[in-house]
Amino acid sequence: MSLLGGGIFKGMTVTLRNFIGSYFSKERLTTNDYSWRPDGDLPQGIGDYPKEEGEQLSDTTTVTEYSRNFPMLLHDGGEPMDTVRCVACQICERECPPQCIYIEKDYDENGKYIKRPAIFDIDVSVCMSCQICVEVCPFDAIVMNSQFELSTPDRFGGLLVRRDDLLKSNDYYHQIHPEEAAARDQKMAVEKAAKEAKKKAAEEKARAAAEQKAAEAAKGDAE
Amino acid sequence: MILVLIDILIATVPLMVIFASLFAFTTWLERKALARIQNRIGPNKVGIPCTRISLFGLGQPAADGIKMLFKEDIVPRGADRLFHLLAPILALIPAMLVLCFLPLEFPWTKSLLPVQAFLLDGAVIFFFAITGLNTLAVFMAGWASRNKYSLLGGMRAVAQMVSYEIPLVLSAVIVVMMVGSLNAAVIADAQTGFNWFVFSPWGFAAFIIFFIAALAETNRSPFDLPEAESEIIAGYFTEYSGFKFALFFLGEYIAMFAISGLAVTLFLGGGDGPGVTMNLVDQGLATEAFPGLTVIWFLMKIFALIAVMIWLRGTLPRLRVDQLMGFAWKFMLPLSILNIFIAGSALHLMAGDRLADLDETQPVLRQLMEGANLPVVAGLWIGALLILYVAAKGLNQLNRPNVRPREYKYAE
Repeated sequence: MSLLGGGIFKGMTVTLRNFIGSYFSKERLTTNDYSWRPDGDLPQGIGDYPKEEGEQLSDTTTVTEYSRNFPMLLHDGGEPMDTVRCVACQICERECPPQCIYIEKDYDENGKYIKRPAIFDIDVSVCMSCQICVEVCPFDAIVMNSQFELSTPDRFGGLLVRRDDLLKSNDYYHQIHPEEAAARDQKMAVEKAAKEAKKKAAEEKARAAAEQKAAEAAKGDAE
Repeated sequence: MILVLIDILIATVPLMVIFASLFAFTTWLERKALARIQNRIGPNKVGIPCTRISLFGLGQPAADGIKMLFKEDIVPRGADRLFHLLAPILALIPAMLVLCFLPLEFPWTKSLLPVQAFLLDGAVIFFFAITGLNTLAVFMAGWASRNKYSLLGGMRAVAQMVSYEIPLVLSAVIVVMMVGSLNAAVIADAQTGFNWFVFSPWGFAAFIIFFIAALAETNRSPFDLPEAESEIIAGYFTEYSGFKFALFFLGEYIAMFAISGLAVTLFLGGGDGPGVTMNLVDQGLATEAFPGLTVIWFLMKIFALIAVMIWLRGTLPRLRVDQLMGFAWKFMLPLSILNIFIAGSALHLMAGDRLADLDETQPVLRQLMEGANLPVVAGLWIGALLILYVAAKGLNQLNRPNVRPREYKYAE
């Protein structure tokens, strides 16, 4: 037989422990003191918070490595548009629940489709950070960024993020979400290996078929 | 005539100033405490304007107030404009009014005893009568907004406040029985020298019931169904913005202070505390070590209760509507009625035929203890505690919903 109202006291001790503990152990604090106060303690993030007023946030400023905000496009280093993973297949555009993605395919001067986007806009005022675009992308081209300092004086243009601003290198991805990036790289490597193995198998099959055909032809000749 | 008016101003203006500033401090305290309970930091940026001094964010209430003042006041097109305007005012006035009945003896009011509103005989009754008006204000807001959520919130508020008024009053009856007076100042004086009513079993039970009912009366969590933000947006003040919203907010907090003040008066000894000594010669009125000490103790006790309210808000989830009603009518009401019987029998068994001779200007519990022999008193107290606990436990078992225990697949 439990004590009447014991559950309430149990809950209250939990909240009391959190209340007092948050003053003594910094690890408990789930949010960081985002401040320009010179004496403020620095948070334990990957990037550092600006310490002086007016100092810009670094590109890697993030709360934790598990924070996700809005999508970004990945490229594999070098000139962004040469190594961009996106092929403008428009799957994400179709799947996006609030319809915040706009994509146009890129064509060369002969009107031939080259596998990259000419326009890739994300309206972050509409985006609800659901990550469905990340889930559906077959090329691992779109992943979540953790940059949150996006305030702008322009309500319309300022919140429409263009292709060139969305493009981020895989190295940056490794910096902000190391675990996830490593897992994704591994998955991509496995997929690539499987694809190559399949290609190889297909080639071998083709060769075997060709050999057989040649043998048959030789046989027919002999006859 | 002019002198009387000045006296009235001297007696009432400090109350308004003190409690309005305490309201500002409490909003900060609540945000800060809730943040710490959730392992956040809370407001810590706003301090003295135009400087970098942040003072733990103590400037936040001022910033909030300025923001509220300058916000657009939107009235829905279909709303009843007059009642939409009147509701926040009516929510604030009763809360402010009942502050006068708290036995706060400011040093500067000693000289103007005739206008001290709290000397009203029957202040306790008047207190409940006036706070009952709050229900009207809330329903008025819900009705005048012409919004489904507002009306739902108003209806919930009426059901809840009417239901919890009963255990609230019935638990206050215990104290009135013991003292034999409805005058708040007399009740406070009858507890000097740590003879607080909360230290007796029936007083303790009544205090718990009173506190829970007070939480429901002031729409505080876990009984904040009228403004349940996850269910009906903001309940009865969904359609309020700007200064009208601020008035509702102010009224709610002032009501919290008032009802905590009444709890302090009835059960926690009013302004009694270390440094306040009983004066058995002069009408039982307490003498204090320095002027204003009783006021300080009184406000500190109010703040202790407010702190518990904030703590509970950070701990408990909101009740369902049927749980709320069941709790009032099936648990609190029978328990408070039983408590009245226990208090009455205890009073008779302890005082016997001396009951008529009890001096209401002297500490009541002390007088009761003096005449009775110790084993009887000890037996009575343990018996009363036992009966109350068993009754509460039994009611709890009776009210248990008839469902098999839930099986958790992943939790635990």
